[in-house]
Amino acid sequence: MVVDSRSSKQSLFQPLPGGIKLLMALAMILAAGLIPLENWPAHGLLIGMIYIGLSIAGVTTGYLLRRLALFMPMLLVFGLSAPAVRSDGAAWSWTISLWLRCTVSFLAGLWLIHVLPFRELLITLRRWRCPAVLIAMLGFMYRYTFILWDELHRLQNARAARDFGSGPWWRTWSTNSQMIGLLLLRAMERAERTHRAMLARGWDGSVRFLESDE
Amino acid sequence: MANTEPAAIELRRLTFQYPNGRLALGEITCSIPTGERIAVVGPSGAGKSTLLMHLNGLLPAPPITSDDRAQVFIQGTTVTRQRLRDIRRQVGFLFQDPDDQLFCPTVRDDVAFGPLNLGLSREEVMSRVEAGLAAVGMADCSTRNPSELSTGERKRVCLAGILACQPAILVLDEPTSNLDPRARRQLLEILRAFQGTLVVATHDLDFVIELCTRVLVLESGKVQADGATERILSDPLIMDRYGLEVPWRLRKP
Repeated sequence: MVVDSRSSKQSLFQPLPGGIKLLMALAMILAAGLIPLENWPAHGLLIGMIYIGLSIAGVTTGYLLRRLALFMPMLLVFGLSAPAVRSDGAAWSWTISLWLRCTVSFLAGLWLIHVLPFRELLITLRRWRCPAVLIAMLGFMYRYTFILWDELHRLQNARAARDFGSGPWWRTWSTNSQMIGLLLLRAMERAERTHRAMLARGWDGSVRFLESDE
Repeated sequence: MANTEPAAIELRRLTFQYPNGRLALGEITCSIPTGERIAVVGPSGAGKSTLLMHLNGLLPAPPITSDDRAQVFIQGTTVTRQRLRDIRRQVGFLFQDPDDQLFCPTVRDDVAFGPLNLGLSREEVMSRVEAGLAAVGMADCSTRNPSELSTGERKRVCLAGILACQPAILVLDEPTSNLDPRARRQLLEILRAFQGTLVVATHDLDFVIELCTRVLVLESGKVQADGATERILSDPLIMDRYGLEVPWRLRKP
């Protein structure tokens, strides 16, 4: 799994400073929130602009649809919670507004992933004077996402090596939930070892950064 | 004339018990002169890693605050809470699993972590990062994500991060675990070039023969044998008694 692999591809957006790219993404999200729901042409224009931006960034329609397929079900279910309670126009307006704005935000985030490498994002946040602790946590989260992903793969392989048939669904769920619990335990153990490694290299709790010249 | 220079590492009746009551180390007394390369060997559970963690002040946790209770001395200085910063500046620790030690988004950021904590200027930090990566042959990987590297490469980056702090003493916990022969050879060459004191806990006895001049055999938290590498490792009685094996190159035909 390489989360950052997409942002290494060259596009028109790559040479732009990280701050500009982050501002553009935030502007799209803000616009989605501020445009009145009734102003359909503006919504359509915004979505069109984002789609063009995604295409320029190298995102294919197939990839986009696969990502939306992961995101939309949850959004659809959540959006239907209002009409399920109140079947009037206001509830449906709320639902459509939620779907629209969340989709735009999701697409803006997807665009940002494809044009802004994660390290550059952290540097931009530092320049914007975001809390150092938050930036450090994002950095650790990024690094340990890969490690936990590898750990999960190892657990899955270990299970598959002794899985001689899928079995009833409830047994699969039971195994999966145990694996998640085990993953959590291993993450906690690794956190302790990592903390020890940080202390061994003189860490005193203060967050310090190597100011980049990139 | 007597040598008045303090030993690099001195242990005076070092004893440690885990919170569950298990005695991990039992009154270990040992002196390691400056520049010596010593291996700590023994069966699993002997207390090797526990011993090494005392050298960097990671144990006991919380650290002791009184000189009177000190049992570990680094360059003549007691390892107490008040001196941990200086101790960790002098003693570099390489953990067994490189993923425990690589926690920054890029190689360069990770190698810079230690020097930054030393309070050095940016220029000095960058200089040490470059020197550290060059020493381990990873100078062209500075912008890479550690997850993209092989186990051997990660271990070299971890070592670069430690060397960037310019420690006088290097402590390594199972440095050759999970390394292929080429990576092992590369690590050996890097460690041979290190000028300071070296303490290695390992099961790789061939590695010990190639790198260390002295061996400490640990079992059940106590020192069972201490002496020259070839003498200790070629003694079948010692090796058998403490769950080890005489390395092939030392076996008599």
